[in-house]
Amino acid sequence: MIALVSAEWRRLTASRLPLWGLVAALGSGAFAGLLALVGPENFQPPLPGLETEAGTRMLLGMLGILAFVPALIGTTAVAAEYRHRTITTTALFAPKRWTALAAKLVAYAAAGLGYGLLTVTVAGIALFGAAAAKGVPLGLPTAAVLALLARIALTMAVYTLLGVAVGALLRNQVAALAVLGGYFYLVETALLLIPGANLLYPYLPGGAAAALTGFTYMADAVAAQTGQSAVALLPASLGAAVLLTYALLAALVAVAVPLRKDLT
Amino acid sequence: MIEVRGLSKTFGAVTAVSDLSFDVAAGIVTAFLGPNSAGKTTTMRMLLGLVTPNAGVATIGGRRYADLPHPSSQVGAVLDTSGFHPAHTAHAHLRLYARMGGHPRSRVGEVMDLTGVAAFAGRRTRTLSTGMRQRLHLATALLGDPRVLVLDEPGNGLDPEGIAWLRRFLRDLAGQDRTILVSSHVLSEVEQMAEHVVVVREGRLVAAGAVANLYGAAAVHLRSPQAGQLRTVLLGRREPAVTVEATGSDALRVHGLTSAEIAADAAAHGIALHEITPERPTLEKLFLDLAGGTV
Repeated sequence: MIALVSAEWRRLTASRLPLWGLVAALGSGAFAGLLALVGPENFQPPLPGLETEAGTRMLLGMLGILAFVPALIGTTAVAAEYRHRTITTTALFAPKRWTALAAKLVAYAAAGLGYGLLTVTVAGIALFGAAAAKGVPLGLPTAAVLALLARIALTMAVYTLLGVAVGALLRNQVAALAVLGGYFYLVETALLLIPGANLLYPYLPGGAAAALTGFTYMADAVAAQTGQSAVALLPASLGAAVLLTYALLAALVAVAVPLRKDLT
Repeated sequence: MIEVRGLSKTFGAVTAVSDLSFDVAAGIVTAFLGPNSAGKTTTMRMLLGLVTPNAGVATIGGRRYADLPHPSSQVGAVLDTSGFHPAHTAHAHLRLYARMGGHPRSRVGEVMDLTGVAAFAGRRTRTLSTGMRQRLHLATALLGDPRVLVLDEPGNGLDPEGIAWLRRFLRDLAGQDRTILVSSHVLSEVEQMAEHVVVVREGRLVAAGAVANLYGAAAVHLRSPQAGQLRTVLLGRREPAVTVEATGSDALRVHGLTSAEIAADAAAHGIALHEITPERPTLEKLFLDLAGGTV
């Protein structure tokens, strides 16, 4: 299994995805820094400033929204095996197919965590830097900010696994990316609009991630638009548990389903 | 070595392979022949565990491919639909699969030298020509130095130079007592190497066995100004297997005797011979006779 994980890591690092991942991680972190520098109080409409708890949480939550980026990277990497037909060679070298997929999950969990840590490190530096540049303290204690950043990194690792699972199941790279992007951008937000169905939102990946990162902007914005009361998110610990359950389920499905599919 | 027993596979309403059984003997080259859509590729994929049969079993050394310990050290395969990650270099591709198969890094250099991949090791695979890609496929298959090779149309898309290289390369591999099962449309690729053939058509076995047996008794073509006299002499041997056919006023085709036996008889009776040529039917003729299809 160590050889398989190492091979999957080599497969990933020998492609250009790490470069794009690096650009995306640095960009995501820098984006949060840029927003902090501009200051939420200067947004349209104006939002609570950096020195308030709500303002700091909102900026950190923006990073949570970008958690779908590593999911897309995971999907791209796995679906590429089918698109470029390397899956045949992989199945010849690792004919017990669950082993190759399990190795992918381990390798990409590590890659997703690395992506998340890089993103939150850049974002953290940018956030504290922006606060210092503006001469205001952040609205949350440093320990709380660091804890939120760590949770966001964890969320990104879990999302990467979800992406890997979607890629393994759908096989078609374009379809997998469309499904994943469509889900995170459209489906979950649309569910928030439907009375009754929005009760599901806290238990969906986006809702669980929002609970973990304390980011309620989407739920609050929809509530403000529709005049409904905002959907109550789960406590952070429960959000983390729901998210991890999704990751485990995704991993199980990703390992189990392709086992008997013919590679023609 | 390779045993195929009662293999069947349907894709929807299409029967690709139907109750197919044959053996591939160890240490020799077996040509797997059949017209398009005969089920060759599906059979090879079932043998390698890529496609699950509806019925039957295919084993290599008594085990199914997926149950082989270190499969890539025992069996190497080139399949026409395998691909490469376009952003990987040829070297990175081989390093990745060497790692996956648990083969030493030094083996990567060896197979690159063996197959000529070393000349383009640093190029990304999307820039490789068909011939280069085929060399890289062969290099990948040889990473584990397997004794068994399963090659599906290894000459597909190659130019004449590439086919000539492939023929030499396969002949070298065959000379190393490896068990090779090779399907091909280009029968000249396997003509000089294959000792056994398995012929399939519409998913069913048509013939299997040693090429020499399937060809039947070889004929000898000869020309002599005393053809009539020679005919009488040869038939005078009274051997039931001997038949003599007149193919011209001075030409005969003889079955059941070797060139040496005919020459000895002619010399003993003072009959002049202008030509004596053993006729070996081509694999293509054999294939057309057996499969009744076009190559």
